Amino acid sequence: MSALLAFDTATAATVVGVLRSGGELVARRDDPPAGARPRHAGRLLRLCDEALAAAGARWSDVARIGVGVGPGTFTGLRIGVATARALGQATGAELVAVGTLSALALAARGAGHPGAALAVLDARRGEAFAAGWSGSGEALSPPAALDPARLAELADPGVGPWLAIGDGAVRFRASLEPALTVPDDDSPLHGVDAGALCRLAAEGPPVAREELVPDYLRLPDAELERRARS
Amino acid sequence: MSCEGPILAIETSCDDTCAALVGEDGTIRSSVVSSQGVHDRFGGVVPEIAARHHVELVNLVVDDALARAGASLDDVGRIAVTQGPGLVGALLVGLATAKSLAAARGLGLVAVDHLHGHLAATSAAPDPFEPPFLALVASGGHTFLAHVVEHARYEVLGQTLDDAAGEAFDKGARMLGLGYPGGPLLQHAALGGDGAAFAFPRAERMRGLDFSFAGLKTALLYTVRDLGEQESARRRADLAASFQRAIVEALLLRVERALEATGLDRLTLGGGVAANAELRERVGSLGVSVRVPPVELCTDNAAMIGLAARHLPVLAAADALALEAYATGEHLL
Ligand SMILES: [Zn+2]
Repeated sequence: MSALLAFDTATAATVVGVLRSGGELVARRDDPPAGARPRHAGRLLRLCDEALAAAGARWSDVARIGVGVGPGTFTGLRIGVATARALGQATGAELVAVGTLSALALAARGAGHPGAALAVLDARRGEAFAAGWSGSGEALSPPAALDPARLAELADPGVGPWLAIGDGAVRFRASLEPALTVPDDDSPLHGVDAGALCRLAAEGPPVAREELVPDYLRLPDAELERRARS
Repeated sequence: MSCEGPILAIETSCDDTCAALVGEDGTIRSSVVSSQGVHDRFGGVVPEIAARHHVELVNLVVDDALARAGASLDDVGRIAVTQGPGLVGALLVGLATAKSLAAARGLGLVAVDHLHGHLAATSAAPDPFEPPFLALVASGGHTFLAHVVEHARYEVLGQTLDDAAGEAFDKGARMLGLGYPGGPLLQHAALGGDGAAFAFPRAERMRGLDFSFAGLKTALLYTVRDLGEQESARRRADLAASFQRAIVEALLLRVERALEATGLDRLTLGGGVAANAELRERVGSLGVSVRVPPVELCTDNAAMIGLAARHLPVLAAADALALEAYATGEHLL
């Protein structure tokens, strides 16, 4: 019986989900303690292996692979995308790109929030990656790297109430509230959810392997400096 | 876990995306190197840009290596991959790829040290050089002397304390206005020049078998400054020839000391600097038997990783899934 495997390594967490047709979701995750380095390289395949085994599936059963393409940490994105590409190469499974911010917003809707959602990740260098969706899942603002002080401007009061989620919502809470509601720091809504990943992976269109690339949203520093000089 | 059959090797420690298929007998069935090229305009390798290109290229390079060998993934016996040292972001792409291929195909995984790969390449078939021997590996990323005791056991006797020899070539070439990559450009500029025209330091008073090229770099900088722009341009061939000779003689000095200290009478060269004509010529008169592999095996490639993997154990499945990269520090085998 075929299985769907989905994972995301755009944030500090390593998140994995396996869904078999007619079966229940099997989720595995690794959340490093605050301030600790992400453990994507050491954990991702181990969690995939564990989740597949718990779902009663083998690698050869995997027919579709969904991977979080970001935005997020560059190294994390590359580990996820390189893993998905090579697993596709080894198994012939279809590949699907899943937006990490989209997965965060979908989980907020799934948790019963009726209004709009702004998914925010800490992009470091004084920036945030953010994108907004309406309560019905319509995209309101595309993923972009923004000045955190201007995040609240994305929340059109006409489509509210607004919920802000993600590690960036926690980090930049002060500039988001009160225009947006930010759940408690320890709310699971701030982390990428395996169920949302699997759903987006199941619904999304398959892409050719060479088109599966991280959504960095930012040029390498060296390139920015070179362009600034010329 | 299956292990029989050829080794599919992947190497992404710097800016070249490499894959190769190596037979169990050491035959190189294919070796593909995709050079990114994009770094030239930055005057050196940019880690983030290298890593971005590896993600886009590595699967195609693997497909190409299999196709050129007339093989498919079904024929592969085990997977080998460079674990370090190198640029971590770049290494992680190759590792994620190799680990995923191994996991999903139920194949054994072998983790290879990049430096061990260079050493394995210096003694490769079709004209194999059996250990023990002394090896000098000099490239843009590393410069070290090793006593290769057995195929899977070596001891690093000395290494560079600052720049690598290839890096010294690059920096010297830049100071002489020659561009990047510096090795071949500087060697070309030195043609017809007088290697004795300028007395550049070889760090000869530094004891032991370690290398240092920082003083040489500074000496060239001051010489060019003192000569002035016009005179430096006019005497460029002499400057290039003298600078090249200083690098070559600094390398030879340590090689001679190491041969004496170990009593070894055989030497191999590896790394991109082994392509340097003056170095190749000078080692010929050391009075020991010398082996220099073809240039494509000296510069970074995945065949050398497959060659080293032949003599290394396959990781336990759980360790393979959790394998991580390391940036520095060679594993002494
Ligand atoms: Zn190298």
